[in-house]
Amino acid sequence: MSGKSSENPPSRPEYKTKVTTQTLNIAQPETKLPKQITEDVWELETASTGVSLGSATLGLGVLSILGFFVFDAYTTLTASMAQHPVGTSVLGAMLAGFVGCFSFLSFREWRGYKQVNTAMHDAKQLRDMLANKGANLSPSKVSSILNKHGKRFSKDSYAAHCFERYSQQRQSDMTSAELLGLYEDTVLTPVQEKAQKVLNKESVTAGSLAFISPNNLIQTLAVVWISFRTIRRMAKVYGLRPGTAGNWKLLKVLAQNIAAQGIFDLATDEVANQIGGSLSAKFMENSAEAIAAGALNARLGRALIKLLK
Amino acid sequence: MQNTIASSLMGKTRAVASFTSNTLADVFSKETHRFTITGLSRSGKSMLFTSLITLLKSRSEEGLACLPLLRYLPPSRVLDMHIEPIEGYKPFPHLKNIAALEAGDWPEATEEAYGFKLVVRLKQTASIKRHLMPHSDVVFEFIDYPGEWITDIPMLNKTYAHWSDSAWAQLSSGPQQYYAHAWKQVVNEFDFEQTPTPQLIQQLVTHYRDYLVQAKANGISLLQPGSFLLESSDFNWQEFGFTPLPSSITSDVSHPWYRAFEKHYSAFQKDWLTPLKHSIFKETDKQIILVDLFEGLNHSRQHLYQLKETLSHLADTFVYGQSGWFSRTVLRKQQIGKVAFVATKSDLIPENQQQNLLSLLTQVTEGARARFNDKPIQFEHFLVSAMQVTDEGANKDAIRYTNNDGQYVESTFEPLPKTLKEMEEGSHFPVPSVNVPADFKARILAGKGIDRLLQFLLGKGE
Repeated sequence: MSGKSSENPPSRPEYKTKVTTQTLNIAQPETKLPKQITEDVWELETASTGVSLGSATLGLGVLSILGFFVFDAYTTLTASMAQHPVGTSVLGAMLAGFVGCFSFLSFREWRGYKQVNTAMHDAKQLRDMLANKGANLSPSKVSSILNKHGKRFSKDSYAAHCFERYSQQRQSDMTSAELLGLYEDTVLTPVQEKAQKVLNKESVTAGSLAFISPNNLIQTLAVVWISFRTIRRMAKVYGLRPGTAGNWKLLKVLAQNIAAQGIFDLATDEVANQIGGSLSAKFMENSAEAIAAGALNARLGRALIKLLK
Repeated sequence: MQNTIASSLMGKTRAVASFTSNTLADVFSKETHRFTITGLSRSGKSMLFTSLITLLKSRSEEGLACLPLLRYLPPSRVLDMHIEPIEGYKPFPHLKNIAALEAGDWPEATEEAYGFKLVVRLKQTASIKRHLMPHSDVVFEFIDYPGEWITDIPMLNKTYAHWSDSAWAQLSSGPQQYYAHAWKQVVNEFDFEQTPTPQLIQQLVTHYRDYLVQAKANGISLLQPGSFLLESSDFNWQEFGFTPLPSSITSDVSHPWYRAFEKHYSAFQKDWLTPLKHSIFKETDKQIILVDLFEGLNHSRQHLYQLKETLSHLADTFVYGQSGWFSRTVLRKQQIGKVAFVATKSDLIPENQQQNLLSLLTQVTEGARARFNDKPIQFEHFLVSAMQVTDEGANKDAIRYTNNDGQYVESTFEPLPKTLKEMEEGSHFPVPSVNVPADFKARILAGKGIDRLLQFLLGKGE
């Protein structure tokens, strides 16, 4: 069992290398730590110095309301308008200022819709891509579409802030579906949530303004203004630049909003007439109108979200 | 006296009540995932664990933007994260591994089993649940063990004679034949007429172990018993060692050497492999099988075929099948439901060739996957770099890295084969020997594929 003859060891094969290596005369670049996922500290409005046009409008509106009350009291006391031309002039001037400022503000807000058409087109394209998870599209194509979409966001918008986060986390080996998933997680979903928060806040403001409005004219003007402001603020969340031309779809939504507001006014007026002109009826009417204004503003915002998401 | 009994009873009742409420709370607010990372030695298990902990900690504690594809644990929902030990296991030496990386050394190879729990506390988002249970815990249990153990588990199903014959056939063929010559010469010259004394057995086992060590150093993956390769093995191979013997001896059941090794082999199965299989390989929820394709690419096509064979044996050792809600939640019993085959160190090849690497991985795992055909099991293939140690080269086929001599070099690769058949006979792709980069933490966070892997294992198939 022992002392067997020894075999020759099999010769080890020599392998041909498929990799060539050369030394470089540069130092290895340093990889930076990824950025921190900052908390959502983005503010809708940046602090501005001085009195803004919006504040002036609101101030003048409040002054007008007060002015009407004072004027009413004044006329009751004096029973003669002709005897007090100065007061009438001041109130008229203030009201004219309010209407003028309001008109300009509305015009400026209206211009903020300019990019909406593009944004709605982008939104549709993204929705389609997300629905089929980027099938039939190469990762580079998806990446380029998303980049194009992200580049349109205005510099100081929340969407731009989110897009920066997406850009930091994007990796070269990601598939089309993964890129879309990452974009959804870091841009689309947070922007959506932020828009919803802004809308909730604006709807409460709309309700409050409707509640304190003394008459239908001021109430309608306030609703128009808050509707415009809601659109502008939400557009800012979505990265659209305010102060540019608008879009007929949004105007249609807005028109529906105002028209519905008018119909509701008629209905509540009728209910109020039935109850009588008591203070409680007035309170009830205002409350109902406030709820309606808030709800309609929310409808406006939801329509906007639907168009832009 | 009565007071003492009453207070004792009250105490017990309170303990039972508290136990019950804790257990109930656990059932509803805890979600436990047990991960077993399986892989042959050198497949990068320890580095993967180290990276995983670093990534999750950096994400939840420092708020660093990493693991972007891990949608299951959105950063906005993570309240905190901590590590807990698992009973019966040594804690994973995460800090020691980080210290080693800081000192410019790669983490030491695993020589014993480690276990740890990673508890991630999540904010509850569901409106009603948010008021009842403000948070839920996702518990990850990780078990790390030496890759050498895994190759031994299939020995449980073999008799000594069966194992010896197959081991002898294996070392006489394939790439291992180049390293087995010295061992075979020892056997040929050994006098088996001598009585198998402990000294003679030890002498033979030492020679056999020398072969195992040399073969391992040269990229051979199918080496049994792998436990003999570990100095700190709990199995006393010096005293109860055995080796494969020529069939002229194993065919004679009355031969003293056969009887001696058969006895040691039985002890190895009973005292070492059986408890090992029950303690580590049974209760697992998700399985990650790490495959180091570079060991094969570094050597030859034959090495890759051998890797495929080894993986096929390895899949034999697990119990597959998704457990139902009752056994998972009430009985706390879990079986493997998802299996991920992972090729590690994927950053060691240019990015434009990673599809070929993935295709190669898919082919290498064919045999192992064949075991899943009739099982309710989900599986997927992934490329992972636990640390992005390379940079882009001057062209798409090149990568740059700092080598072991501290030089920054550029390696240009010829196209990697998509299939084993395409691997040119007599050629190889030498694996880059890379230094630990000084910016290792940033490079761990820049690692690729771990988020994709965790999302697959934790997600619900989205």
